[in-house]
Amino acid sequence: MVAAVKEAQQAGKPVAPKLPAQPAKPKLPVKEQKVTRRSFWQMLSSVTISPFAVAWTVMATIGGVWSLAAARFLMPNMVRELPSKFKVGAISDYPPNAVSEKYTASRGVWIVNTDQYNGQPLLYSLLAICTHLGCTPSWLSGEQKFKCPCHGSGFYITGINFEGPAPRPLERVGLTLGADGLLEVDKSLKFQEELGQWSDPKSYVELG
Amino acid sequence: MNPHPDLTAGVIRGLGWLYLLLALANVYWSVRSFKKDGYYERLFGIDHVPKAFGWAAYASILLLFACAHLVFSSSADDFMIRLPEFFKSNVDILIANPISYFVISIVIFVAMVVWRNWWVEPTIAWILFNMSVLFLALSMTDYDFRQIVGKPDNVPIVAMLYLVGFFTWLYFYKCRDNDRRLANGLPPAEKELSETVLTWPDLVYSEMICMVLLTVVLILWGVALPAPLEEPASAVKTPNPSKAPWYFLGLQEMLVYFDPWMAGVVLPTVILGGLMAIPYIDFNKIGNGYYVYEKRKFAVLTFLFGFLPLWVAMIVLGTFIRGPNWNMFGLYEYWDVHKLEVLNNVNLSDMFWLDLMRQPLPRPDSTAAWYVQLVTILQREWLGLVLIVLYLVALPPIMALTVFRKFFARMGFLRFMVLANLILMMWSLPLKMALRWSLNLKYIVAIPEFFFNI
Amino acid sequence: MSSIIEYIRKSQIWRSVFRHPAPYDRRNRAVVVLTNFFLHLHPVSVKKGGIALSYTWCMGGVTFFLFLVEALTGVLLMFYYRPTLEWAFTDIRALRDVTTLGIMREIHRWGAHAMVITVWLHMYRVFLTGSYKPPREFNWVIGVILLVLTLLLSFTGYLLPWDQLAIWAITVGSNMARATPFLGHEGPGFQLLNIGGYDLITNASDARFLLLGARTVGEETLNRFYIMHCVAIPIVVSLLIAIHFWRVRKDGGISQPL
Repeated sequence: MVAAVKEAQQAGKPVAPKLPAQPAKPKLPVKEQKVTRRSFWQMLSSVTISPFAVAWTVMATIGGVWSLAAARFLMPNMVRELPSKFKVGAISDYPPNAVSEKYTASRGVWIVNTDQYNGQPLLYSLLAICTHLGCTPSWLSGEQKFKCPCHGSGFYITGINFEGPAPRPLERVGLTLGADGLLEVDKSLKFQEELGQWSDPKSYVELG
Repeated sequence: MNPHPDLTAGVIRGLGWLYLLLALANVYWSVRSFKKDGYYERLFGIDHVPKAFGWAAYASILLLFACAHLVFSSSADDFMIRLPEFFKSNVDILIANPISYFVISIVIFVAMVVWRNWWVEPTIAWILFNMSVLFLALSMTDYDFRQIVGKPDNVPIVAMLYLVGFFTWLYFYKCRDNDRRLANGLPPAEKELSETVLTWPDLVYSEMICMVLLTVVLILWGVALPAPLEEPASAVKTPNPSKAPWYFLGLQEMLVYFDPWMAGVVLPTVILGGLMAIPYIDFNKIGNGYYVYEKRKFAVLTFLFGFLPLWVAMIVLGTFIRGPNWNMFGLYEYWDVHKLEVLNNVNLSDMFWLDLMRQPLPRPDSTAAWYVQLVTILQREWLGLVLIVLYLVALPPIMALTVFRKFFARMGFLRFMVLANLILMMWSLPLKMALRWSLNLKYIVAIPEFFFNI
Repeated sequence: MSSIIEYIRKSQIWRSVFRHPAPYDRRNRAVVVLTNFFLHLHPVSVKKGGIALSYTWCMGGVTFFLFLVEALTGVLLMFYYRPTLEWAFTDIRALRDVTTLGIMREIHRWGAHAMVITVWLHMYRVFLTGSYKPPREFNWVIGVILLVLTLLLSFTGYLLPWDQLAIWAITVGSNMARATPFLGHEGPGFQLLNIGGYDLITNASDARFLLLGARTVGEETLNRFYIMHCVAIPIVVSLLIAIHFWRVRKDGGISQPL
């Protein structure tokens, strides 16, 4: 058996049947055999400084410059808004354990007098913007909670979120007692509970 | 006088016209059935009864219904044909619950695919259509249903539901034929229409007819329904509920389950990117320009799943069922602002630290440097972060080695990774929903300090 | 009667506009498509399948027609509408109360809703027939962009009546922009973009501010949305529609099995 195989191998290749003459194939350009370091750099530079690359880079730059210029142009440097600081009356205007909605419609803040946050009677001002998507929650005094109509987030009187999709408590804005005995809200200051900013004395007025 | 009457004289008359239309459509169907459907060999002892007899009987009942509505002239409160209360309350219970709503939409989706060759039968499809119209007509006898469905801005959604239903039917109907042809080695039916005709007149005239019809529809629609105009805008009076335009209500529904940066920015971007990527990740050469189901099952099912239960059904949910405070209300339920729904959700980190480890949550020291705080936060949220990374990074290779083995071999690394991540993103919505319903899970990763919640 | 028609047909004016005989025979039916500016959007002949309603659903054509209706009624509405806090709402109400054919507003609004639906159904059909496969891949991408622009057109138009429905829908919709990663002032990672302790991204410099032109939905927003709705987006859409149609012709023709 083995001998027969060997014999067959030694006998040489079988004669191939004659095929009809094939048309000559067009010669393809021979590919570069090996990439040397030098030719790699040449290749890189030929790609980066080729008219192709230059043209696309120029086009992209022009487009980018125009887009950035348009975006910057559309970013106004001035907005017309009411001043961020305003007086909201005396402490005596705010009875204990109540949420005042006096400035909600005009200025978007509640003034809250409660001792539920840390046991101390405090007066603070909550921003009437839901921390979920910025709708205006309403104060439901019967259920003692702020409830957002957009996606149902609920907050305790302290401003802490407890239901719905809101990810964090309502924000406090600055509230100070001026020398004239009047309270002043400063909406340019914001205090976030989750960052520990509610301990900042500018965020509340302690009641005696 | 009831301020919220279920029925008024106007509603009764309107429904009368609707029943009349439906009756006429069924007269047509009886004729069609008489020509096509054949006979029952023996029915109630009578030989050779045409099947069309049933349709004719049904059409006459509808006609009686229409007459009863159109000639009714006494007090609307005495009118008998209305939806029974037990039906309303049971439907409300099923619909006004996110779990059963979503489960029902998935069940309908699965049934639609599994029994596709059964329900595309024209007779079955006609029965389904009749049932849906009857359901709509009878539901119109309910005050609250009418308030929501009859809102001018919501009417297009009802129209869209019928259009989507009809075109889905058309697709499966054509697929049944083409699937058989392809299985027998024949070309799809559309290939047989490859004979060319001149644009003028064939195409140009059908375009003109289409334009005329559309103009008529738009004018009738504009006359029948006035465009809504509510009170002048007020920046301080938030209406309850506040809804985005109806075509974005699918996204607004996602906001219940995801943080705004995910639901409002990342997921829409992924949806659009994913749509644009479809031609580049679908390597299947079959079905280029004709209807076919069997040979591109995966692509079609994925798309249908994204379009029907995750987009259209979510729009229906957001429009018709989400009411004040974004609570869910049944179709026949009064939109009560004070309806209470307990939504006490907890984060994964709370579950891990409080329930499992019985420790307080690690709380970052607000006076320390930011990187010290970051370490504490990462320690607090490590479980969620690990899970997310596993989901997005470890799952694709596992998928490549198991279920999607053949896909991976044919698609190559990059394409497969894009596909796998798109699918995982799509499934993240039902997954997050299921977690919310079963575990009251709010966020898997909750880092409000950096507005990074997932 | 027929002699009058004959006279008009033979007149110099008619022949200067339509430079070929009436399309009664095969040759002139081809010529009319080739020589007419509006018709030359079409090829001279089409496959029967390409114009079968049960196959194409005609949804792309309906969408385009609705776009034309929106353009026409939109231009008409612009004559009676001023995008200011003082007038916007009043002008819309006047359309309803005092303007003859104020139904233009209804047609505009319902046409917009219908366009959103038909553009979805068009995409649905193109997907189900697999008509996005090579060589039509890139036209599908353009189609997705057109879909987004259609939604944006409708969204920007939603604000213009300046009623409660409008302002709150836009507030809810645009509030998501504040959570844009890096570019929104309540988005993850915005804290990373600061120079020397100064945040680059605040509520007066983020993506939402760029969109609204202010911190809240107000007069600047109304103006911005008006310009986007009436000028900016329609120009882009028209351009993309032209490319979309052109590529339908170039990438394998009107839908048919490839």
